[in-house]
Amino acid sequence: MKRATAISVFLLICAASAYAAVPGDCWKLRKDGHSSQAQACFEEMTQSRDAYFRAEGFWGLQDWEHANEQFRLATQPADSKPLYKVRWGRLLYERFNSADAADLFREALAKDPSNAGAYLGLAMVFADSFDGKAAEYCSKANALDPKLAEAHELMAQLELENGDRDAAGAESDKAIALEGDALDAMAIHAAIELISDRSPDAWFARIQAVNPGYGQAYALVAHELELNYRYEDAVTYYRKAIAADPSLWSAHSALGIDLMRLGKEDEPRKELELSYNNGYRNAATVNSLRLLDSYKNFETVRDETTNLKLDKSEAGVLLPYLQPELHTIVATYEKKYRMTLPGPVQIEVYPNHEDFAVRTMGMPGLGALGVTFGEVVAMDSPSARKPGDFNWGSMLWHEMSHVFILTATNHRVPRWFTEGLAVHEEGERSPEWKNRATPEVLAAIRDKKLLPVANLDRGFVYPTYPSQVIVSYFQAGSICDFIKEKWGDDKLLDMVHSYAQLKTTPEVIQQDIGLAPAEFDKEYLAWIDAKYGAEVAHFDEWRQKLKALVLASGQKQYDTVRARGPALAAMYPQYVGEANVYEMMADADRAAGDAKAEAAALTTYEHEGGQDPDLLKRLAALDEAGGEKAKAAATLERINYIYPVKDEDLHRRLGDLLYALKDYDGSVREYKALVASQPVDKAGAEFALAQAYFAAGKKDKAEDSVLAALEIAPGFRPAQKLLLQLQQPDASTN
Amino acid sequence: MRIALLLAAIFAIAAQARAASYYVIVAGLGGEPDYVQRFTADANELDRTFKASGELAHVFTLTGQNATAAQFRATMITVASQAKPDDDFTLVLIGHGSYDGTEYKFNLAGPDLTAAEIATMCDRIAARHQLIVDTTSASGGAVPALERPGRAVIAATKSGTEKNATVFARYWVEALQDSSSDTDKSDSISAMEAFIYAAKKTAEFYDSQKRLATEHAVFNDSGAGSPVREAGNGQGMLMSSFTLLRLGSSQEAANNSAKRPLLEKKEQLEQKIDMLKYQKAAMDPADYKKQLTAALVDLAKVQEALDQ
Repeated sequence: MKRATAISVFLLICAASAYAAVPGDCWKLRKDGHSSQAQACFEEMTQSRDAYFRAEGFWGLQDWEHANEQFRLATQPADSKPLYKVRWGRLLYERFNSADAADLFREALAKDPSNAGAYLGLAMVFADSFDGKAAEYCSKANALDPKLAEAHELMAQLELENGDRDAAGAESDKAIALEGDALDAMAIHAAIELISDRSPDAWFARIQAVNPGYGQAYALVAHELELNYRYEDAVTYYRKAIAADPSLWSAHSALGIDLMRLGKEDEPRKELELSYNNGYRNAATVNSLRLLDSYKNFETVRDETTNLKLDKSEAGVLLPYLQPELHTIVATYEKKYRMTLPGPVQIEVYPNHEDFAVRTMGMPGLGALGVTFGEVVAMDSPSARKPGDFNWGSMLWHEMSHVFILTATNHRVPRWFTEGLAVHEEGERSPEWKNRATPEVLAAIRDKKLLPVANLDRGFVYPTYPSQVIVSYFQAGSICDFIKEKWGDDKLLDMVHSYAQLKTTPEVIQQDIGLAPAEFDKEYLAWIDAKYGAEVAHFDEWRQKLKALVLASGQKQYDTVRARGPALAAMYPQYVGEANVYEMMADADRAAGDAKAEAAALTTYEHEGGQDPDLLKRLAALDEAGGEKAKAAATLERINYIYPVKDEDLHRRLGDLLYALKDYDGSVREYKALVASQPVDKAGAEFALAQAYFAAGKKDKAEDSVLAALEIAPGFRPAQKLLLQLQQPDASTN
Repeated sequence: MRIALLLAAIFAIAAQARAASYYVIVAGLGGEPDYVQRFTADANELDRTFKASGELAHVFTLTGQNATAAQFRATMITVASQAKPDDDFTLVLIGHGSYDGTEYKFNLAGPDLTAAEIATMCDRIAARHQLIVDTTSASGGAVPALERPGRAVIAATKSGTEKNATVFARYWVEALQDSSSDTDKSDSISAMEAFIYAAKKTAEFYDSQKRLATEHAVFNDSGAGSPVREAGNGQGMLMSSFTLLRLGSSQEAANNSAKRPLLEKKEQLEQKIDMLKYQKAAMDPADYKKQLTAALVDLAKVQEALDQ
């Protein structure tokens, strides 16, 4: 959400003006709730001979286009004040054009490198995308102008979003000390109280004493609650914001989006349309409305514990996989966390990544594949990504862990812990889905960039280097792995309960693990060193050797690849990404005609968590040719967790293998997926399904399917034979 | 329409019982080694597939340095001297094509050949049923020059402006090797079945790679008008009846006079089933299923008798 700008106070030094009022006076009148005087003040300003004053006047009257025009005029002279560019940038920022706003702030800094307002503007732009540079720019603004209350307010907000409530409170106090009506600072205080489960009333009373109609304060609190997973509470405060200021369209939009996250549809549309129709048309509002429109293409399949919202075009393929997996997950977590969910969990699966992205807009962290909002999980469909990009199975176990942990803690859990536990649970489900140390992680370990557990949240919200979010996911997951390994599963459950009791991370570590946080960090780092020390020590060497092997493989020097590959793989066995050793070895083995070695290389790739469907299919084909049908089927089953869509060949092959292995129910599932894949050979798919049903003893369904096959291809002889067989009174597979 | 198509297909099969099929496959200039390898491999795969289809298949394949305009012309002259009106003729072009806004050229080692030159060579072949499959980039630009009544033209791209290298040829080859492309289970793959298979697989390729599709296959088999992507409005009849590859012994029964009554019965039942399918939307579902089941069971019994 945009940070409040138009009503922010800034004191202008504008002695040359011929007018009694300066823009800051008008804005202060509005901020303090004197609406009619503010209106008159802005109207007067539009009559000024000074383009800059006219710009501020039109801005205050919400005549954005004229304000923009006047700012353009005001900044045309080469000697125009940097302030004008800063203010123009703030207007554009408020009107959803952050890119041009940032350019104007930079242009202002080019004119005046010590312009605190320009740094503050940049900090606001970067804060919206949870970029670590926001704090850096905000600190510069504060250093250049320690009396800039708004910079302290923003810093307070950044500190709160980074989980440091004390620092947030201190920054808010600085703002209030500078300006008695620093309403956003008071709102931050109110948010701190609410996040700490204390009453915010005293702070809201102070805000109301200044301006009872300052709805932005409630909206700011709601936003902070959202970032702490408290979506229901956020709805309450967005409603309060609207009650205080019914024309606060940003709050209407945010309320609509928050309600969408809670799985609602009608009220969100109403709120978003209200916001849109009143000119608040930021990307989140527009895209959310588009997403609501696209819901007509979805169908929801409900049962006692789950609501699955799937695109109609792929529901037939995905449902038979997602629904049973969800049931397994719910049963597993209910047992593990000793709790039941209050109602069905809703899973929304988006084949269009942009639709999914709308659901995550304004949320920090990776947010790349799935996101949980209480009991609603939104995730990419496998079809939204390139085959092999992600594993929907591990994603579902991850997101469902959030659902349980958020419920168990009543949404009072730090980001690092819920993410860490979710990553840990993926590895608990399958060793192939375990937390893997990627090259970015090894580099971070080598460069000693892992964070103390007490500050780990910072790595998720405002990362200070590009891969820090990825590294933080790994670190959080490995901390949970470490706790389980050393103290057992129950300790993790104890921690869940401690967070539910509003304990802080240092308190939880001390109480449940019995170590001071610093001591815990020391032991954890020693564990990491024991586990990954060798890989880290040889990381640079591995990288150099990998480059050489890639070159050799590209030049088809297969003997070199076969000779050097095994040792290189042993240096960093977990690496299954681009240009991995296993694939190069398999290619070299194939060139040498050594199918056994090729299968062995690909099997290691598979067990290390390799997810390229083509490589896994290649392995399955090798295993099948080698007579290992069960192993081949197991490999193809793995692909079902990666890319079960748009791959009729996968379902046909797996169906055939399972049929041959007499797993008729499994083959029915696969052939149903084949039929749902809209294959070229529809008749063949229906016939295969008919055969599987027949073998499974489901004669009626077999007849339906064989009729479907023959309806498409009446002369299909094998299907004709099966139909005649089914017509026999004693028809059976024997 | 469906019944007419079905009958046309049956008559076509009967008529083609003694006819030969001529195939000319040309893998043009690859340029980069990867393309050279890919084009040659695709051409060789087609060569092998067509040759394996029986004695009546006459296959001429040009690849690498042999794929010149001169060799192409010489091969087409040979085919023109052998092919009879009842025979089928198929030309498959694999490689790169170019289009300058007015003229399409098939890239070969040495001088290229224009679409108009290729059309002229095909015109000299007596075979009444012809199929040209141009799988190259910009091949859509060749269609206007190649189309003619009695000739189906398939292009990998919808126009001459789709100039990126194509993947259609890969799936065209696959269509002839994968029996699942025989969607009506007639033991033969028609040009239309192969086209649908290859076009679908090509689209899936771009979709799975999350790449913007730079080729959209089209065809024209009416000899006039713009190429289309789906059958209908007079397009698709020739390709549906053009047997590109036989998989089994679909023509044996047609040659056996003793089985003619059964064949007539089979034909009647097929027409009945087609009519039922046509009326499906207006029928009670249970009644439809009952009648369809009865007709399909009868048809299966007739086929069983034919197979004995």
